[in-house]
Order: sequence, then structure tokens, then C-alpha cells
Amino acid sequence: MERILTRNIEKERSHTLEVYEAGGGYQSLRRALASMSPEALTDEVKKSGLRGRGGAGFPTGLKWSFMPKDDRPKYLVCNADESEPGTFKDRVIMEKDPHLLLEGCILSGYAMGAKTTYIYIRGEYVFSARRLEEAIAEAYAKGYAGKNILGSGFDHDLYVHVGAGAYICGEETALMTSLEGNRGYPRLKPPFPAQSGLWKSPTTINNVETLANVPFIVERGADWYQSIGKAPKNTGPKLYCLSGHVKRPGTYEAPMGLPLMELVHELGGGMLHDDRPLKAVIPGGSSVPVLRAEECAVDLDFDSLAAIGTMLGSAGVMVMDSSTCMVNAIRRVAHFYAHESCGQCTPCREGTGWMHRVLSRIEDGGGRQQDMDLLLDVADNIQGQTICPLGDAAAMPVRSFVKKFRDEFQYHVDHRKCMV
Amino acid sequence: MPKVTIDGVEIEVADGTTVLDAALSRGKEIPHYCYHPGLSIAGNCRMCLVEVEKAPKLLIGCATTVADGMVVRTESEKVRRARASMMEFFLINHPLDCPICDQAGECKLQDYAVEYGDGRSRYTEPKLALSKAVDIGRHVMLDQERCIQCSRCIRFCREVTGTGELAFFQRGERAQIGIHPGHRLDNPYSGNVVDICPVGALTLKEFRFRSRVWYLKNTASVCAGCARGCNVVVGAAADDHDQIGRLRRIVARYNGDVNGHWICDEGRLSWQRIYAAPRLMTAESPAGTPADWDATVAEVAETLREAAGRSRAGAILSPRLTSEDLYAWRRLFEALGGVEAGVRRIARGEDDDLLIRADKGANAKGAEWIFGAGATEASVLESARAGRLEALLVVGDPLDPDDTARLDDDVRSKVARVLFVGPFVSGAAEAAPVRLPMAAWSEQDGSIVNFRGRIQWLRRAVGTKAEDRPGWRIAADIADAAGVEFPSFTAPGEVLAALARDVAEYRDVDADTVGMLGVPGRTEAPAGA
Repeated sequence: MERILTRNIEKERSHTLEVYEAGGGYQSLRRALASMSPEALTDEVKKSGLRGRGGAGFPTGLKWSFMPKDDRPKYLVCNADESEPGTFKDRVIMEKDPHLLLEGCILSGYAMGAKTTYIYIRGEYVFSARRLEEAIAEAYAKGYAGKNILGSGFDHDLYVHVGAGAYICGEETALMTSLEGNRGYPRLKPPFPAQSGLWKSPTTINNVETLANVPFIVERGADWYQSIGKAPKNTGPKLYCLSGHVKRPGTYEAPMGLPLMELVHELGGGMLHDDRPLKAVIPGGSSVPVLRAEECAVDLDFDSLAAIGTMLGSAGVMVMDSSTCMVNAIRRVAHFYAHESCGQCTPCREGTGWMHRVLSRIEDGGGRQQDMDLLLDVADNIQGQTICPLGDAAAMPVRSFVKKFRDEFQYHVDHRKCMV
Repeated sequence: MPKVTIDGVEIEVADGTTVLDAALSRGKEIPHYCYHPGLSIAGNCRMCLVEVEKAPKLLIGCATTVADGMVVRTESEKVRRARASMMEFFLINHPLDCPICDQAGECKLQDYAVEYGDGRSRYTEPKLALSKAVDIGRHVMLDQERCIQCSRCIRFCREVTGTGELAFFQRGERAQIGIHPGHRLDNPYSGNVVDICPVGALTLKEFRFRSRVWYLKNTASVCAGCARGCNVVVGAAADDHDQIGRLRRIVARYNGDVNGHWICDEGRLSWQRIYAAPRLMTAESPAGTPADWDATVAEVAETLREAAGRSRAGAILSPRLTSEDLYAWRRLFEALGGVEAGVRRIARGEDDDLLIRADKGANAKGAEWIFGAGATEASVLESARAGRLEALLVVGDPLDPDDTARLDDDVRSKVARVLFVGPFVSGAAEAAPVRLPMAAWSEQDGSIVNFRGRIQWLRRAVGTKAEDRPGWRIAADIADAAGVEFPSFTAPGEVLAALARDVAEYRDVDADTVGMLGVPGRTEAPAGA
């Protein structure tokens, strides 16, 4: 299988402009600026079927087309806040092939008339941020960024902004609020970022991996791109982050629609311990509903996972074997969301802590018969009632764990200890 | 104009109206905490979730703009369930200290818990323990546990005063309202955060633990602190069991033409001034000796009449007296055949760009309309110093003892008789051998005119133990004793009626037209001028 997004990463000094150019880097930018109109570029991305790789899977070209065609300054924001537990794919691009991201940013900026990209990167990614800064300096020096790029008359500046370690700042509106120098609070929608985003200007926020796809769509065309992937509307190459009880955890590239079991057993080398069978998989980062082992014969793409009630999310595939206590696992997840809730709106602020405390009590042997129903109810009362998706992200895993592994919770309540 | 159907009733509202405002315009309150009409939309409390047809989720009424044909349900089962769940969330970490909470009785958390909450709590985990009495400013105390994080106070300090002292610190359930390090909530409008706090998280130092709110008698009135004339509600506690009462607090009352939703701290605490000096309890003659009212009035009348007959009488009046008082005094002075009257000017500090006026004369504009701009305290004092006055009547300040006219030794040595009418033993009262007690601000009804010429109505909120009378009635008593012709005034409305016939700016004004929000006086130039 041909690797696309990760074609450079094993090369010596893959992060340098020299190596990137030698592999055909910035040719897409050169070509687009010379021969494609912004509209044509947007159309090509629309036709490619590229869907956002940050989690929601929204069609990228369509998102770009929401940008108004007026005289206000427009911004592209690259979401490099990769904070969803179990997710470590954007980091590979930023560390190993930063110019791919930059070329994607500049092309995307060209498509929507944005003269500025802000790359908002999580504070923990110190090395990624340094690599990006170095790459940006190289790109400016060679005329790929800045004023009058490659003599085309198109200007585009890129800035790296390092976050301060809050999960919520990966939510696009909180990210913008943080970028503006304020406390990272999500904003009410509407208005949507394309109408009123960064500094009240039209803004599009795209994930690192999403933007890294754009140079290839320009290079080889939408038809080629569409041919990658198993299911219609689920196209292109995809980075999967495999972690948990497997022999070879890591980031793997495969065409969209890679069967989950193929990822676990072939790319991941199988279960970590041969005598401990698969129990559950969280397929898309810690915020998506968990799958029981018998549900795992599924392709990893947006629509296949949605069909069985979960999500591709950030493609953070977390594998759990038979030694995993599901109460302990969801307690850890619930702690994360309680800790990362920004506290702005009531259901998430109060509900995430409540769920975590109930789960802790169950695991610690203080569970009550009504606790499972209580957890489901509290999760229900959070979901859909919050300002931003963090509430849903906290509620969905709790609901799915309690629903799908209720026997384990019941055992904890009845016996005041774990069944595994 | 879009038409929206709210709970089955179709209404037409202006473009851009929110669902919450649209409902409110028809008298239907959608429950809310963070929404405040004087602040930006935060949308954080989630209490105003409503069902909008064709929307996949419940939407918050405060941030959802009505669209033509929109169908909204604010009382559906789904909505009531969402509200109940919000109440449960609000209460899990909220302390059960209602019995000692100053907000109890006017607390939105209590009100909505009764209306939408469940009687029992499913929360059995430990509640978060936070700081209970944080001193954050000159007038404001913060209770972190009671706070429901609606952010009204933060938005007030950012958007209204522009001072930005408050912010959220920490996140999630550990998030707390706090004050920026090294700062204090000491802006001149800080007390408003107490008014807008929907729970008992922010309390006023000068009110906390002083009275249960349900014992307060609330009276819609007008602040007499400065020439703005902010609309207020005066709360008085009848803790003496004698219907006299004692002022306990002043809170803001909305008037879009005067003060919006806000008042300044000085006005909020202005009621304390009434208790800042000894009250004149009875008529006194000589000073310090209680005297019969009628005899003292007769003495004042005789003194004034004789001096006026020789054109050697003067009077200094406070600019905080009601229009009715001022007009009655003017009629008396005219009937006596000429008293040189001057109105004090009380000025402190500077006008700011929100509400505070340097001119503290709450009725300075009314005084100008009634006596003319030339009737100043300075000119009266000049006459006194020149030895042209035998008798000088001082009508003291009804709000602040310190604002009553003072007479220096020069004046005192040159005026044979100083007569005093006022509530407090302060200023000129100390030099006056004859004193008559007068009602203070909040103890009588009457109109005052703000610096923009808006006529507003003060209402009696308390009584006193003093043997006092409203100023207009004292003037009438003196006229009676002096045997001069004087209208028979028996109520402030009658004085206002006479004033409305006599002084152009008050034309057609009566207590009804003034109403709760006041009415502009007639200041337009006559036709052809």
C-alpha cells in the first residue's frame, strides 16, 4: 500500500525544506498559484470528499465555501491542539514533515482568501512547535510564505501560537478565544466562525491532518483522492493512533475504512498478551462510545462507525484486553473530562465532577444499586445541553460504558470489588 | 417583523428579538440566571432552554433570535425536564445555608427550585467546600460556595464600569469568581454586583445580616444623592413595631431614561446619612429646649413677618427639598411681602460618564425653575454680611446633615435672628435659637427634578419619632400663624397642582403623569421665541 501522508517521515532529516522539496514538496503550491483559481481549488477539495480529521468529519471543501467573499480580513486557524486522549497523529506530521502542513495551510489560505494562518498548538508539544517555527523560517526564506508567494501576488503569513495546556482550547471557539488572549471559553454558536470568528472576522478552523491532505489533492486530483477508501464519502488516506493492549502501538497510515481488527492484529501486531483476549475498543479518542469485542468487526471510517453508534473522532483507537476493569477505565476517562471542563456552563461544570465522584465511589467499593441509572441520567442531562461538545464528550463514554458493561458495574456494587 | 408562536400564542416582535425577550414582552418569564438585560449575553446557565420546532436540541432562549414562523414551547415536558436537571446541577454543590443567607427570600435559586426542582436530591457525594466570606471590596463580600458562576458580576465590571476587577479563576467545578491579585472591587458602582447576583454569593457589607428581606417594606422612590435622580427601591425594616421603621438599604430600580439598571455606591448608601447626625425631635426655642409647636411656629412667623415688612428677611434653602416644599416656601415668602431667598449649591467631585453628577442638588433644577437661577445662597449671605438682613431662615438638607448651610461668625454676628427648619441638628441649626423639625428624605412624598429636567416622584418609606412635618406644611403653618393669604394645602398633590398652574415647567404635571418613571418637564422655548 502506498503511504501518502507519511511518505516522508522515515527519510533522514525529513523535517527540512531540502528533503521536502526533493520529494516534490511545494510543487502543489507552485501549481495552484500559477494555474488554479481559489474557487477551483475549493471545488477540487469539495470533489475529493475530504472530511475533517479533527473529529467531527465535516466536509472540508463545504466548510471553506462558508467563508464570505467580502473585504474583511479572513483567517485560517490550524488546530494543532491535539489533546484528545489516545490521539497522537498530528504530532507525527508536525515533527517529521512540518512543511507538508505549511503547504497545506498556504494552499487552503489561498482557496478561501485568508492571508494569515495561526497554528494553535498545545503547550506540551514543545518539539513540534520548534519544528514548525524552523520550517516556517525556511519557507519564508525560500519565498513559499510571506509577501508575493512565488511571484503570484498572493500574501500569506504563518504564526505558531503555543497554548497553555487546556483540553478545551482544542474546541474551535475556545481556541479562538484563547488565541485572542482570553480565558479559553467556548463561544455560543451562532455566529459560526465563518461569519464571526477570530477577532470577529471570517475564520476557518481545520485540523493538522486535514490540511496535510490538501497538497495531495492538488497534486493528484480529486478523482485519485476519491478512489482511496472503502466506502463512498469516506475517502482519502487516514492516520490511525493505536494504543492500549497491543504489541505495536503507534501511528499507522491506511486508506480510510481500514478494518479495526486489521489495525489491531496486522499493523498492531496483535494483542499484547496472547492469553488475554480483546475486551473492548474505544475507536476514536476517549470521548466516543466504546465498542465491545463482538462489535469490533467494523471498518474505521466516519459512516461505518456512526452506523454502530460510535464515532471515528480523532481515530485514537484504544484497545483493552480482558484484564481491564471497565469501571476503572471509565473512572479515568471521567476524571479527565471533569478536570478539563472549562466550568463555563452548568451541566458540564457540575455534571462531570458528579459522574467522576460516583464512578470513584463504585470502584472504591461504595457503590449503590441505583448508581448505574443515576450515571445514565446525569449523562443524559449533560448531553445536548451544553455550550460546546465537551459535555457530550464527557457524557457519551460514561453512557456507553455503563450500558455495555453494566454487569461489571453491578459486580462492583454487589461485591465491592472488581470482577477481573 | 417576524411572527413567532410562543406556547401557542402568536406574537409579532422586532427583528433581532431573542426568544427570551419576546416571551418577556408578553409577560412570560422564561427562567434564567445569567441573562441580564443590561449586560451581554453569556448563555452559560442553560436555565432558559426552550424547545424550538425543527431544532434537534433545546436552544437557550437568551441567545436564540426569533425567526418568522418559529414555534417555541417554553413549558413542554422536555423543557421542564431540562430545567429540573439544571436545578439539580446547580444545587449539588450549593450549600444549604439559606437560613443565614441574606439572599433568601429574593433568591432565584430558591424560586426556581420551588417551581422547577425536585424536592429531593440524588446527590450523595461530598459538596465542594470553598471560601465563605471573602472580602473583595469596600462594600462587597463574596461567598464562593453560593456562587452559581453566571458571570453577571464579571460582565458588569467589564462592560458597565470598564474596570474589570473580577474574573473566573480555575476551571470546571473548581472554577471560582475572584478578584485579580492586588486589586479590590472598589469602583464607585460596586454595589450593583450585589443587586444583579441572582444568589447570595455577593452581599453588601452594609446590609448583610441586618434584616431578612421579607421583613422589609419596599418603596419605589428616587435617590436624592445627586442631580441624576436614579430610580431606587428603598427597603425599610419595621423593627420597632411602631410603623416607624428604619431604612436598611437602597437597591436600583430600572429606568431607561435616567439610570438604566444601575446606581452608584454613594447613592446606595446615602440612607446612612440620615442617621449620621442627631435628629431635631421637637420644636425648640430656645435651642435645646423643647417647645410647643404652635408657639414656635408663631415665633418664627412673627420674626419673619416683621423682618419681611422691612425688607430685611432672607432665606437659604437646600437644593434637595422637594418641588412642593420649595414652592410652598416661595408662596410664603411672597405672601410675607418679600424675603430674599437663595438656594444652596452642593457640588463635590466631577461628573463621570456613567451616572454620578458633581451637582449633589437632587432638585437643583426644580429650585431653578421655581426661584430662578439668580436666587443663590451666595447672594443671600452677601446681604447678611452687608447687614441688610435682620432675620435669616435656613431650611436644612433633608438627606445629609453635612450639607445643611453653615453660617460663619461674620454672618451670625450680623443677623439678629437665625431661624432653622430641618431634620438634623447640624450646620446652621447649631447657630439657630429657634428650630422646627422637618421630615427627612424618604419620610415624605414629593417631586424632584433631575439635571435633565425630568420630574420624578419621591415616596415616603419610613416615619420618624420626631415631631416633624413636611416642609410645605411647615410653610403653610407659618403662613397661617402670620395671618397672610396662603392656599389651603393638605397634601403634596395639591401643592403640585398649584405649582403646575404657576410655574411653566411643571405645566400639566400631577402625581399620575409623573408615575413610577417620571416625566420630562416643559423646557421647550415658547412658540415664536
